[in-house]
Amino acid sequence: MLYRSCQCASYSAGIRILFVLISIVPAPFRTQAQQKYSVNGTIRDGRTGEILIGATVNFLEIPRAGSASNSYGFYSITAPAGKYTMIVSFTGYDPDTLALDLHKNILLAVELSSANTQLTQVVVSARKRDENVTKPLMGVQKLTTSEIRDIPVLFGEKDVLKTIQLLPGIQFAGDGNSGFYVRGGGSDQNLILLDEATVYNPSHLLGFFSTFNSDAIKDITVYKGGMPAEYGGRLASVVDIKMNDGNSKDYHIGGGIGLISSRLNAEGPIVKDKGSFSISARRTYADLFLKFSSDSSVKNNSLYFYDLNVKANYTFDEKNRVYLSGYFGRDNLAFGNTFGIDYGNATGTIRWNHIYNSRLFSNTSLIYSDYSYKIRINSNNNDINITSRIRDLNLKEDWQYFLNADSKIDFGVGSIHHTISPGVISASQTSSYNSLTLQNKYSLESAAYVSHEWSPAEKIRFNYGLRLTAFSVLGPGNFYTYDTAGNTIDSAHYNSGRFVKTYTNLEPRWSASVQLNETSSVKVSYTRNTQVLHLLSNSTSADPTDLWMPSSNNIKPEIADQVALGYYRNFRDNQYELSSEVYYKDMRHQIDYKNGAQLIANENVESQLLYGKGRAYGLELFFKKKVGRFTGWVSYTLSRTELKIDGINRNDWYPAKQDRTHDISLVGIYKASPKWTVSATWVYYTGNAVTFPSGKYQVDGQTAFYYTERNGYRMPAYHRMDVAATLQGRKRAVKSKRFESSWTFSVYNLYGRENAYSIVFQNNPDDPTKTQALQYALFRFIPAVTYNFKF
Amino acid sequence: MRVKYIVLFALLAGYACKKVIQVDLKNAASQIVIEGEVTNHTQTYQVKITKTVDFSADNTFPPVSGATVRVTDSSTGHTTSYTESSPGVYTTTQFTGVPKHIYNLLVIAEGKEYRATSVMPLPVPLDSVTFARNTDLSNKQSINAIVNFQDPPGLGNYYQFTEYRNGRLLPNIFVFEDRLSDGRYIRQPLFNDSSYLQRGDTMLLKMYCIDKPVFDYFNTLIAVTGSSNFQSATPANPISNISNGALGYFSAHTVSEKELIVY
Repeated sequence: MLYRSCQCASYSAGIRILFVLISIVPAPFRTQAQQKYSVNGTIRDGRTGEILIGATVNFLEIPRAGSASNSYGFYSITAPAGKYTMIVSFTGYDPDTLALDLHKNILLAVELSSANTQLTQVVVSARKRDENVTKPLMGVQKLTTSEIRDIPVLFGEKDVLKTIQLLPGIQFAGDGNSGFYVRGGGSDQNLILLDEATVYNPSHLLGFFSTFNSDAIKDITVYKGGMPAEYGGRLASVVDIKMNDGNSKDYHIGGGIGLISSRLNAEGPIVKDKGSFSISARRTYADLFLKFSSDSSVKNNSLYFYDLNVKANYTFDEKNRVYLSGYFGRDNLAFGNTFGIDYGNATGTIRWNHIYNSRLFSNTSLIYSDYSYKIRINSNNNDINITSRIRDLNLKEDWQYFLNADSKIDFGVGSIHHTISPGVISASQTSSYNSLTLQNKYSLESAAYVSHEWSPAEKIRFNYGLRLTAFSVLGPGNFYTYDTAGNTIDSAHYNSGRFVKTYTNLEPRWSASVQLNETSSVKVSYTRNTQVLHLLSNSTSADPTDLWMPSSNNIKPEIADQVALGYYRNFRDNQYELSSEVYYKDMRHQIDYKNGAQLIANENVESQLLYGKGRAYGLELFFKKKVGRFTGWVSYTLSRTELKIDGINRNDWYPAKQDRTHDISLVGIYKASPKWTVSATWVYYTGNAVTFPSGKYQVDGQTAFYYTERNGYRMPAYHRMDVAATLQGRKRAVKSKRFESSWTFSVYNLYGRENAYSIVFQNNPDDPTKTQALQYALFRFIPAVTYNFKF
Repeated sequence: MRVKYIVLFALLAGYACKKVIQVDLKNAASQIVIEGEVTNHTQTYQVKITKTVDFSADNTFPPVSGATVRVTDSSTGHTTSYTESSPGVYTTTQFTGVPKHIYNLLVIAEGKEYRATSVMPLPVPLDSVTFARNTDLSNKQSINAIVNFQDPPGLGNYYQFTEYRNGRLLPNIFVFEDRLSDGRYIRQPLFNDSSYLQRGDTMLLKMYCIDKPVFDYFNTLIAVTGSSNFQSATPANPISNISNGALGYFSAHTVSEKELIVY
């Protein structure tokens, strides 16, 4: 059976190798007692036609049998011929029950309707709210759009990346920073994908906001560990974000007017039920207020961003569907005419879904991803432009083969070509600086993977796989080797297309779950991840000018091995969910910088680096109330993250900046009435590890501070409460369209806690015989109001 | 840099606040600090030896007396001994340093030996000093000096600038390297973080040509001084050219200076 279907996919040698790999995995499923048939199709929202990701399909008669719709809404379930009751369910939707007479392969499209959220009635869907207990994957967090909608955020600006930081193991990097830390990883160790395209800088306005307009987002999944083999490239996490496809039944326009930005989105069918589009745009207008300032210096400053999400899809026939999606965003920041920076991401994805047969699904993606910045400096005689860019072209092919009701194989191949232009300086004739172009860095990141999800017995599930990655540094260019002091000891020139160095890594991934009873399970997983691109940053948080560096003859790929063990339990008919996980992560080839490292416009930047290792371990607890008028969760993380870098802290272990002993988030959402929803969040975490002076001295008449150890101190503990209330306007019919509107009122940092943003040690301006510590805090008590509409 | 902009923006918008806080800092064993120089001017030279104090203490730094201090011009083999002229301050008789010569400093203090080497670079003349007016983000007007000079061709020129306003040394550290400016005519503004120049002030501006280790020292010192707004996220002690764990520096440098009235 397996080999029969493989004939239609036999158009590349790589694929054949994969099938060989598949055939060597233990395969008790190949013995077949009787004829089997499949039911397959797409699962959609009945009202909008949006495909539903992760909806589950089960046969009541075979409890072990189960399938979930993939990223494209495709599902397939196979069982021996017979009569079945198929149940399709998805959180927030009414489950659908269908009677099936399975004596041939059946194509069956399913449409679910949103659960009628009658407040008095607690909807307990019969099954499948217990995915957390039954699925083998662990370390996975998902958020629904309604949770994102109801949770208060800074300036009332809904932000998916901010909201996921309320989940255990995903840590808020601090005010004014959209970066986040997952299980001890740095913020550059998160792979952020928007419709499969890598987003290299996920922040707007120097980190106050993320690049993701939540109007355009359908689904967000975070993998903290136990990543499926299809993902790779970063050590700590994968944040997989999917954009809305657009309503395929009807045209709609929606939007919002907020304190700092406005949003507008339009969606509708291209051809009814065959194709749809969705366009979402957003722009901030804080800078427009600056223009009204009488103060000329304020007037000439600018600070804004805009972004645009576009997506379209078209279904050619039952077997072929094409998606186009794109993102474009840009930030602009200028101080008068003297200094300006603009930066942003652009991504584009073309995808082709092809269904070979009722069990074999494939997707081919061509992905473009681009991040660039441009700095302009005009001071006195100096007219300087500095530009830098990273550009990826990625071709990948993924297959899913639904073997049996209890067995599924994912496999694929892909290759990313990276072009990194680390810096081009163009200076005017009169400038104090020379024009300079650093050589482009070319590399190829290729991967092949296979994984098998399999349930050998009723209560046991496995997901095991292997990812093979090859990273090649390509010419043209000059490649240098350095001694420990950073002096060049050798150099070699490679021509275009030559392979300078190739690193291959085998990344095994496996997880297993044992269901103890109806409501509880134990899971264990092991994951290896490698990272071939590294972010070099001089600052504490994501900076637009941070530099992505590929691995090279000097920089080895980072490697992390993670083991995790979890216990999951649901209570009261799955109304409550408890997850607890412990993890240990070992990291190799971690990168730090020499003191005084020159990272900017330095051809020999690799001579400025130090290498070492890291370890992270912790306990994560998550308790969630999933249904009812009051929903919400408590999340607690106890963790430790340490580094040991040659040349730092006398080569001893020291806490990483993101080491947090305690991290707590409380989230509560209460539907007070059909009109009002109120919500509140509270977060608390141990301050980041930080380096403070342990003394002072004088040099050239100036006070200087004396340091004894890296990260030997702590910032003060951070805590904050935010509240929001949403007033649902009356639904009115306008020209046969339903007009909906809502007002959201929110307060960020309700009790005005002055959380330390930075602590600066300085001379006391009033008393030259003293020094003092000065604490800066951002965002004390910020109210916001947002108006949203849709028709 | 970024931290500064974010804080400034937030302060402007009324979102940020600052306050003096008490931080419970650990006390470390007192360390020795050595400062010394040799220049191409004919003059007496000083070596200052002091010690570190706790952060919470007053800014009085205990001098280290009774040390042996010697400097040797290794190109001529000539050694000059220093005598303690006041506690912790060691002085020579007049001599003139010579560019391209290698100077070795030896300090024996409290039973430990400290050594440093510095090579005096070739002199580069300071062409002129001009002034420019600036408005910063918080709308404060300020005047800053611009140093103008020709960087000689060939990489490896390092410069340091000190400003004296009405005879008083301003607490700023300015260094410049020709890594990205080789052979250019340099017009480098010196932005004062804390002391503002006034029209009519007398300004003495000294340009030093320093060697790379001294440049590295001052370039990393900037991030850890009490007058700096550019404190590093992961501060560390500057890279000193003195051995045996002493803080401070020893610099053999040339001097070119201009004195003028601020306009």
